[in-house]
Amino acid sequence: MITSYLALAAILFSIGLFGVLTKRNAVIVLFSIELMLNSVNINLVTFSKYGLVPGISGHVFTLFTITIAAAEVAVGLAILISLYRNLGSAEADQYDSMKG
Amino acid sequence: MGTYLLDFDWTVMAPELVIVITAALLTILDLILKEKHSYPVTKFLSIWAVGLAGYFVITGWGDSSYQILADTYRVDPFSLLFKGIFLLGTLFILLFSFAKKRINEYYYLLLTALLGAMMMVSAADLITLYVGLELLSISSYILVGIQKRKKQANEAAWKYMILGGASSAFILYGMSFLYGLSGSTNLYVIQQAVQEGLTSGYGAFVYLSFALIIIGFGFKISTAPFHTWAPDVYQGAQAPITTFLASISKAAGFALMLRVLILAFSPLFTTGDWERLVSPLLLTLAALSMIVGNTVALKQTNAKRLMAYSSIAQAGYLLVPLATMGMLLFPSMAFYLIVYIMMVIAAFVIVEQVTDATGDDDIRAFAGLYQRSPLLSLIMTVLLISLAGLPITAGFVGKVLLISNAIYTQHFVITFIMIATTVISYYYYFGIIRQIYFRSPANQNPIPIRWEQGLILGVSIAMVLGLGLFPGYLIQFLGEVDWGSAFQMATNSGR
Repeated sequence: MITSYLALAAILFSIGLFGVLTKRNAVIVLFSIELMLNSVNINLVTFSKYGLVPGISGHVFTLFTITIAAAEVAVGLAILISLYRNLGSAEADQYDSMKG
Repeated sequence: MGTYLLDFDWTVMAPELVIVITAALLTILDLILKEKHSYPVTKFLSIWAVGLAGYFVITGWGDSSYQILADTYRVDPFSLLFKGIFLLGTLFILLFSFAKKRINEYYYLLLTALLGAMMMVSAADLITLYVGLELLSISSYILVGIQKRKKQANEAAWKYMILGGASSAFILYGMSFLYGLSGSTNLYVIQQAVQEGLTSGYGAFVYLSFALIIIGFGFKISTAPFHTWAPDVYQGAQAPITTFLASISKAAGFALMLRVLILAFSPLFTTGDWERLVSPLLLTLAALSMIVGNTVALKQTNAKRLMAYSSIAQAGYLLVPLATMGMLLFPSMAFYLIVYIMMVIAAFVIVEQVTDATGDDDIRAFAGLYQRSPLLSLIMTVLLISLAGLPITAGFVGKVLLISNAIYTQHFVITFIMIATTVISYYYYFGIIRQIYFRSPANQNPIPIRWEQGLILGVSIAMVLGLGLFPGYLIQFLGEVDWGSAFQMATNSGR
């Protein structure tokens, strides 16, 4: 039982990582980070039910990560909006003015 | 059982409480006062809060370790020492920031970032640790992009946010496996569970979680190959924020790494996996950082990018004692961190003033500095010599401590790499010195230095030379700190 949940989380984490590394659209990149963080939530909830030592603290941890992920994506969107205003583009591969 | 909130001795949290109350107060004052009135108040209150928190850290020094809030938060010599380092560094960064007009948000976000760093070094619980880490990270993302009309600042903030967010996800994913093994978020319980897990066939989860956490921490302290964000972010952010990231944020990352690796993963020592797997892995990261940081710095012309690559290399040096362990682990890391923070803050003050006065971000801006401001060139020369690790400066003593620890633990390959890359680094540090003394200046105007910056430079240079000539006092002090207590339960624990 626990294996399938862990596999789901691992697959979601990998998809998220793939998205962060390869996607051009900046909004998709933000979504991918959310996907990575949410796969961790699945992991935590699974462990708090089927782990070696089941307990409530996994759920509590999940509440904290959800809150912090929301704060993080709010900041991310704010940065994206100011980038869009200055550059007129939401394509992440055009944010390349600094090199070296 | 039966401990309630008010049963704890809350005075141990005084430094954090001062910072959080001031940050909240400044947020409200910013809303209700006109900017003309609130700006001087903000500047004064933020300095005052950092100073008062520093006072509480000093008065709390020497007390035995104490755990509050159901063992999630602990105050011990380890965390107090790091808090002292952060507060001193932030005091200088605040003084540095006064050189230009900034918005009020800048100051209270700097305070919340400092609070995050202080929580990180005091946490004994994965949740507290993660909240502290994210408080530092999210405040830093905003601070990097605080000049919202500047393209480079936006871009730097974006890159920092994406890579920082991904690295947080890695750390969190690693932590979730630790939770799965132990059923608890407390680091001391996790230590026992990891011990049992290694002997009862759950070793794979321990290694998986270790690898994920190392990748995440590698991003936070900018070691190669996870360093790619650092040059862009350092270049795009304002100079005091760059300094904050290079000094406080990095020191907090190292403190967190020490605590988590030595506490949660200490059972790996007893099974011999540390020598077999962990130590080579960390040494590879350290060697890569030293090599990549020092060689890529050779072809940098932008002053801030050069400093970024230099700081990647310094992260490599600092990682060596953690990988090799040994008697000098804590004293050598703490000594080098203190010295490094002083050097890097003063060096960035000069870089900022010179590039600002010349209107050029390139190291060409230093051309003929000796003819423009002889005293400033002398200070910069001493700082560069210290960063390069040459004698009579504190940087030399720090490097000697790190190298002697590596030799003492019989790691000769990494010792060779440390010495070889240090020699390579002379080339780019002396490149700046060559500009200062042997190139003709664009104009003869002296570089303007405000009194706050003069104060930072004076204190840093006094420390760099003082600790270079008489390192004994600080080394003895750091040697006598009860480091071991950071890794044992406090006596007032409820468990």
